[in-house]
Amino acid sequence: MSEAMTTSILSELVSGAKSANSFKGIRSEAEGFLADSRIPSKKHEDWKYTNIKRLFDNGLNLVSANDITFNSVDGVEVYWSTNEELVGSTAIHSKEAHAALNTSLFEKALVIRVKKGAQVNEELILQQVIKLNDGEFSATRVLIVVEDNASLKCQHHYSGSPQNSSLLNNLTEVFVGQNARLELNYVQEIGEGNLMTTTEVECQRDSNFTTNCVQLYGSLLRNNVNIRLKGENVETHLNGFYMLNGKELFDNHTLVDHLVPHCESNEIYRGILAGKSTGVFNGRVFVHRDAQKTNGYQSNNNILLSDDATMNSKPELEIYADDVRCSHGSTTGQLDEDAVFYLRARGLDEFGATALLLTAFAGDVLKAISSEILRSELEDKIQNKLKEMRA
Amino acid sequence: MSLLTIKNLSARVEEKDILKGFNLTVNPGEVHAIMGPNGSGKSTLASVLAGNESYEVTGGEVDFDGKDLLDMAPEERAREGLFLAFQYPVEIPGVSNVNFMKAAVTEVRKHRGLEPLVAKDFLAYMKEKKELVELDGKLAGRSVNEGFSGGEKKRNEIFQMAMLDPKLGILDETDSGLDIDALRIVANGVNKLKSKDKAFIVITHYQRLLDYIVPDFVHVLYDGKIVRSGTKELALELEEKGYDWIKEELTEA
Repeated sequence: MSEAMTTSILSELVSGAKSANSFKGIRSEAEGFLADSRIPSKKHEDWKYTNIKRLFDNGLNLVSANDITFNSVDGVEVYWSTNEELVGSTAIHSKEAHAALNTSLFEKALVIRVKKGAQVNEELILQQVIKLNDGEFSATRVLIVVEDNASLKCQHHYSGSPQNSSLLNNLTEVFVGQNARLELNYVQEIGEGNLMTTTEVECQRDSNFTTNCVQLYGSLLRNNVNIRLKGENVETHLNGFYMLNGKELFDNHTLVDHLVPHCESNEIYRGILAGKSTGVFNGRVFVHRDAQKTNGYQSNNNILLSDDATMNSKPELEIYADDVRCSHGSTTGQLDEDAVFYLRARGLDEFGATALLLTAFAGDVLKAISSEILRSELEDKIQNKLKEMRA
Repeated sequence: MSLLTIKNLSARVEEKDILKGFNLTVNPGEVHAIMGPNGSGKSTLASVLAGNESYEVTGGEVDFDGKDLLDMAPEERAREGLFLAFQYPVEIPGVSNVNFMKAAVTEVRKHRGLEPLVAKDFLAYMKEKKELVELDGKLAGRSVNEGFSGGEKKRNEIFQMAMLDPKLGILDETDSGLDIDALRIVANGVNKLKSKDKAFIVITHYQRLLDYIVPDFVHVLYDGKIVRSGTKELALELEEKGYDWIKEELTEA
C-alpha cells in the first residue's frame, strides 16, 4: 500500500492528520481500510438517522487531547502506552470507518490492567473533560484488561463543554478473562459537543460483563457497543438510559455476537425524549450456528414527552442455531395518563407524579449500576434534566 | 355545615352528556350509597369529583368544605381531604407502595402544615393502617398494584384511604367482583375509619355491600340524575325488584 495514498485519504478527512510513529501494524491496516471506504453518510444503513459526516464536510483539525484523568485504586495498573501488545486486537473486528480513524490517529493508549485473581472493590473512575474548540477533532484510546479470575468496576465519565462543531472519537477495547468480572459504566454529559464512542469487548469463558451507558447531554452522541462472547457460560448485561431535550440526537448501536453455546445476554435500553430531539436505537443480537443453548433478551422502551420528538428503534435478532431462547421487543409511547391521574388523586402534583413515573422507568436500568454513589448522582442529574424538560 | 354540596352538576365525556343536573348534599358523619344501572353515570360522578380531566364539566357547582371543588387540581382535592377509591386501580411498575405512600402522605401533611414523618414513625403509621385492611406486609414493598389480585387491589385502595385520612371517601364500585372475605375486609376497613366528622359516598351496583357498610341514605342514579332517595330499605327493594320498576315509573310519569 502506498504511503501517499493513505495519507491523502486521512488528510481529506482530518487536516493535519498523520499517524504517530507507534502501533505501526494496526495503523497501516486501519489506513488500508480507510483507503477503501469513506466516513459513512446518511445513505449508509447504520447512519441513516445520524449525520456525523457533516462535521467532516466542514473540515476538522486534528488536535492532541489525551486528557483522561483517573483515581488511584489498589490492585489496578493504569498507564499510558505506545506499545501495548493487545491494543488493536479487538478493534480489528470493527469494520467501521470511525473505529479505523481512531486506530490510525490516536497518539497513545490508556491501559488499565487487573492481574490474575485480583478482586478490586473500589471503583476506578476515568474523567474525560472535553475542551475541543469549533473545527477540532481528537481521538482517544482506552484498553481494559481484566485477567482470569480478576474483577473490576470502572466508570468512564465524559464531561466538559466542547464547542458545537468539534468531535471527540474514543475507542475502548475490553478483554474479560476466564471467570473474570467487569462492570463498565459510562456517563455522557458534554453540553453542546459531538461524541463518537465505541466499545469493543471480548469475553472468555465463565466471565461476567456488564456495561451501562447513561446519556444526558450532547448535540450528538453516538455510542457503539460490540460484544463478542468467545467462551462458554458467559453472562453479559448491556443497558442504556438516555434523556434528550431540545435538538439533541443520541444514537445507540449495539451488537452481541453469540459465537459459542451456553451464553446469556440481557439488554435493556430506555429513553425519555422531549423537545425536538431524535433518538436512535439499533440493537443486534447475532446467534451463530454453533451457539446452541443461547439465552438472549433485548428490549428498548421509549417515552416521548413531546409531539416533536422522534425515536427510531430497530431491534434485530439473527439466529442460526436451532436450540435457543431469545426475545426482543420495542415500545415507544407517551407517559401513561391514567397513572399520572392516579398519583395526582393521592396528592402528588403533576411534576411530582411525572417524575416518580419516569424515575421508576429509569430504575430498571439504573439498578444494574452497583455503585450507590454513582446511582444517587445519576438520580439527581435525571431529576434536574426532567425539570429542564418541563420548562 | 355540609361537607359536600353538589348543585345541578352536568358533565360529559367524548361529546356524550352523562350527568344531567345532579344534586346531592353530604354532611359530616353520613354514609350515602349511590346505586343505579350500568351507564347511569355513577363512575362519571366519581371521576368528576376527583378531577379526572377526561371528563368535561358543562354546568353546576360543587362546594367541598367551603371551597369550590371544581376549581381545584386533582392533587389539591386530595390534599383538601377528598379520596377516590378507584374502580380500576392503576398498576405502576417500578414504584413501590412504600415510596408512593411516603410521597403522598408527605404532600398531604405539608398541606396541613405538618412536617414529614421520620422514617421510623412513617413505618409504624403504615403498619397500623395495614392491619386495618389485613394487607399482607409483602404487598407494601411491591410495585403499586402490579400483579395484585382484584381483591388485593381493592384492599390497597382502602389502605391508601386509611393512610391519607380524608374527610370524604368515595368508593367507586369497590365491591364489584370481590369474594365475600375480601368484601368483609374492605367493609370493615371503612367501618373502622368512620367517624362523626368524616363522610363516605359508596357507589355500588349491588346491595350486598350495604349489608356490611350500612348507609344513612340510598340514592338511585338514572340517566345522569338522582331519581329517588330513601334509606337502606330502598336498597333492599332495588335488590328484589331490579331497576326496571323505577325506569317504568319514570316513563309513566
